[in-house]
Amino acid sequence: MKGFHLVRRTNVKLWQRILFYVIGILVSLVIGAILLSTLDIDPIKYYRQMMTIGLIENKYPEKAIEGLLKIFVPLLIVSLALSLSYRMKFWNVGGEGEFIVGAIIAAVIAFKCSSLPGPLVILLMSLAAFIASGLIGLAVAFLKVKFNTNETLVTLMINYIALYVITYIADTKKSWNFFLDKESARPKFAKFPDPAKMPGIKIGNVNLLYSVIIALALGVIIYFYLKSTKQGYEISVVGDSTDTARYAGMNVGRIVMRTVFLSAALVGMAGAFSASTAATISTSITNNVGWTGVIVAWLSKLSTPGIAVVSLLISVLQYGCQAASVSYGSVDHNFADLLQGVILFSVLVADFALNFRIVRRKEADNV
Amino acid sequence: MADKTELAIELKNISKSFGSVKANKNINLTLRKGEILALLGENGSGKTTLMNMLSGIYTPDSGSVFIDGQQVTISSPEDSVRLGIGMVHQHFKLVERFSAADNILIGAKNKGHFLLGKNRYKEIEDIADRFGFKIDAAKIVANMAVSEKQTLEILKVLYYGAKVIILDEPTAVLTVQEIKKLFDVLRKMKEEGHSIIIITHKLNEVMEISDRVAVLRKGEYIDTVETAKTNEKQLTELMVGRKIDLNIDHPRIEKTKPLLEIRNLSVNGDEGNLAVDKLSFYIRGGEVLGVAGIAGSGQKELCEAIAGLRKIKDGMIIHGGVNIAGLPPQKITEHGIAMSFIPEDRLGMGLAPSLSITDNVILKKYRKGKGPLVDRKTGRAEAQAIIKELDIVTPSTEIAVRKLSGGNVQKVLLGREIQSAPNVLITAYPVRGLDINSSYAIYDIINQQKLKGVGVMFVGEDLDVMMALCDKIMVICHGRLMGVVGTDKITKEEIGLMMTGVLNTVNAKEGKTAGIARDSALTAEEWEEGLEYAAERAYAEEDDASGERGRKAMTVARGRSTGSKRKEGADS
Repeated sequence: MKGFHLVRRTNVKLWQRILFYVIGILVSLVIGAILLSTLDIDPIKYYRQMMTIGLIENKYPEKAIEGLLKIFVPLLIVSLALSLSYRMKFWNVGGEGEFIVGAIIAAVIAFKCSSLPGPLVILLMSLAAFIASGLIGLAVAFLKVKFNTNETLVTLMINYIALYVITYIADTKKSWNFFLDKESARPKFAKFPDPAKMPGIKIGNVNLLYSVIIALALGVIIYFYLKSTKQGYEISVVGDSTDTARYAGMNVGRIVMRTVFLSAALVGMAGAFSASTAATISTSITNNVGWTGVIVAWLSKLSTPGIAVVSLLISVLQYGCQAASVSYGSVDHNFADLLQGVILFSVLVADFALNFRIVRRKEADNV
Repeated sequence: MADKTELAIELKNISKSFGSVKANKNINLTLRKGEILALLGENGSGKTTLMNMLSGIYTPDSGSVFIDGQQVTISSPEDSVRLGIGMVHQHFKLVERFSAADNILIGAKNKGHFLLGKNRYKEIEDIADRFGFKIDAAKIVANMAVSEKQTLEILKVLYYGAKVIILDEPTAVLTVQEIKKLFDVLRKMKEEGHSIIIITHKLNEVMEISDRVAVLRKGEYIDTVETAKTNEKQLTELMVGRKIDLNIDHPRIEKTKPLLEIRNLSVNGDEGNLAVDKLSFYIRGGEVLGVAGIAGSGQKELCEAIAGLRKIKDGMIIHGGVNIAGLPPQKITEHGIAMSFIPEDRLGMGLAPSLSITDNVILKKYRKGKGPLVDRKTGRAEAQAIIKELDIVTPSTEIAVRKLSGGNVQKVLLGREIQSAPNVLITAYPVRGLDINSSYAIYDIINQQKLKGVGVMFVGEDLDVMMALCDKIMVICHGRLMGVVGTDKITKEEIGLMMTGVLNTVNAKEGKTAGIARDSALTAEEWEEGLEYAAERAYAEEDDASGERGRKAMTVARGRSTGSKRKEGADS
């Protein structure tokens, strides 16, 4: 491409950024609309049903809100947790595995400590999941700090280990396996006893689970943790330059291990919340939240308020597709994943367009 | 203006911008055949950008290039080589693990070398001979001295048939003697009909080597003058845009007792090599001690060791009567030792570039204050004070340091270090990459500290500056002390010889060893005992990887110093 080249833009304004992202999302919706049209579906009707997550013309609109929140809560917590690691350039892609481990540990407590009073069981489940997943994160961080292992590979492998552990539990009908339903002839996960179910408060017809309140509070806490605390300050310095952190007398290894522990622990806690909300576990309990969380963290550029907004949007997208699939049998929830991928690409393109301009080269007059 | 055919290169109205920054604005430049043209300008005036467009690394936004009177488009480094332009970059582009010959042949796609034969060494040496160079073609680049690498780079461009050779700050890494040699080579190439552009900001070199001087200022072309018809003063004015006093202040005050005494210090480098080798020196309050040496002679390791950032292998660092060797960095800061190290990339160490000025100011004391929260209010006030005191140009205290200009970045760093009211200030390359005005502002800051009675260690690159600013210069070569000399008693050439290890003045004076203070804080016996402990510790650590025993020995060595001495150090 002779005569053209890229020039970096500086001083991009906030409104420009928002404008470019909105254009990016609109473009992806148009691409989705084209795909829908090929299936003889009216995209406008479909999108309307998707965006309103089936609230309209629904006998039980409160169910739609509860369903949306069931997707939103784990996604919000996991994205927040992963962003902690990413701020330090520690590429934790083990969300799936950490989430499963949290869920399994929560299930152990649920089945074994059901004699305790309700709130205490939930608390124990969350705490155990928090610590168990946190220790996994700590181990990975330790390997990275001590032996400079590649954390992306290690966390990636942990995903598979955790997945196969839960698959093994799900498939093994043995007397020791307290996870499975004793009554059923085929292997099937048992329901949690009542004290292990996530309680909530009734607001109108909606049963607002405590996990929703905790997740939102967590968002606020992490925002202040990063912004105002000494530990948060350490995270931003280490993320910016480890040399400088060392120079300031920070123990970089300890800060990395502490933060990754927290990051993995919170993912594990989200796993416990999901298990408790569903009152059971399954091999598909993560609903891919470990991966979607990575996307959310990046789409929001690791900003905490951004994560809240983006995870809500992605939740609407996912739940909306589920809701719409009731009327459109030929389009299932996979369409949400497809649209999510296209949106990620469009936002990346928008980012590129924000940062660079294509310029044509001018020749000087020949004198 | 000369006849067109006499021009090797003609640039017309060349412009190039990076984002909103105009690096080059409508630049016109001519290079005659068989001349040495010096391209002069301060840092950031666009010299390297302009030359990178000739060598195909950047493409101009607008403007035209003529070579031998023909208009050409250079859109890649290959184009540039084909047109007979060769550039020797400031940072060498060599494969460290390859031999000299292989580094040259690596790009010889069209020369029919499918297999590398044994005869390639001979072949390259023959070519080198023809140009009048002596090189060992089989030598691995990693084992070469800086000047050898540079010779290899020059030979590489000649091998590809360059008629025009561009050298980007070739003298920055060389000693005085090596610079002489390089200039002889350049003169010889000129006689053979090559045209040479040399980028530099050292005026004495410009006067010595060039035929004409082209001056750039802030991305704009100012003028081209005949070297014979100009002088350093006029060139400076062209370069800076106004009259400027080139003298660096050198105030003198009563010196105090040694504040920082270093004895027998050995420190390992990153590759486990011995970077600092049994170094002994001291700094008094109210003096500036320059540290001179070829790049990579252990300066970085020395600074890091004093600041507590690098493990000390052996030796003692006595500050205020206490051995601080092996203490963690924040303890050393509390002792009143401040370090500002400007690495080559400027932002790598000491500053967090994406964080605000406030956040960078609190970097070393964010732990202070009770509770888990960071005290940004005090930090902001301090940032404002530094901005005011050092005239830092910035819209606010909350702007990311990365967005400031080089001079202001360095002021933030130095300002923070001074703010902690140190009694020993270690500053390495504080004017790296700064223009003349900013450099002088930094020299002023250093002099003010000296007048306050602070002991300053100034690790520098430019010998002229060090001769003017420092009271004494310590020369190191391969981490070893070559001597400590008063700047009024030595010439640049002698320092150059010391830098290369040819001249050693450590024991030149009878009855006095350089680097060892007569009025030391410790007695001779105390030193001996302490060093024995330190050596034992080093031995123990090699023996026992856990280092537990070593740490004990260190505590003993440290504990021996008395409280009264500590007080004395703090007072001075």
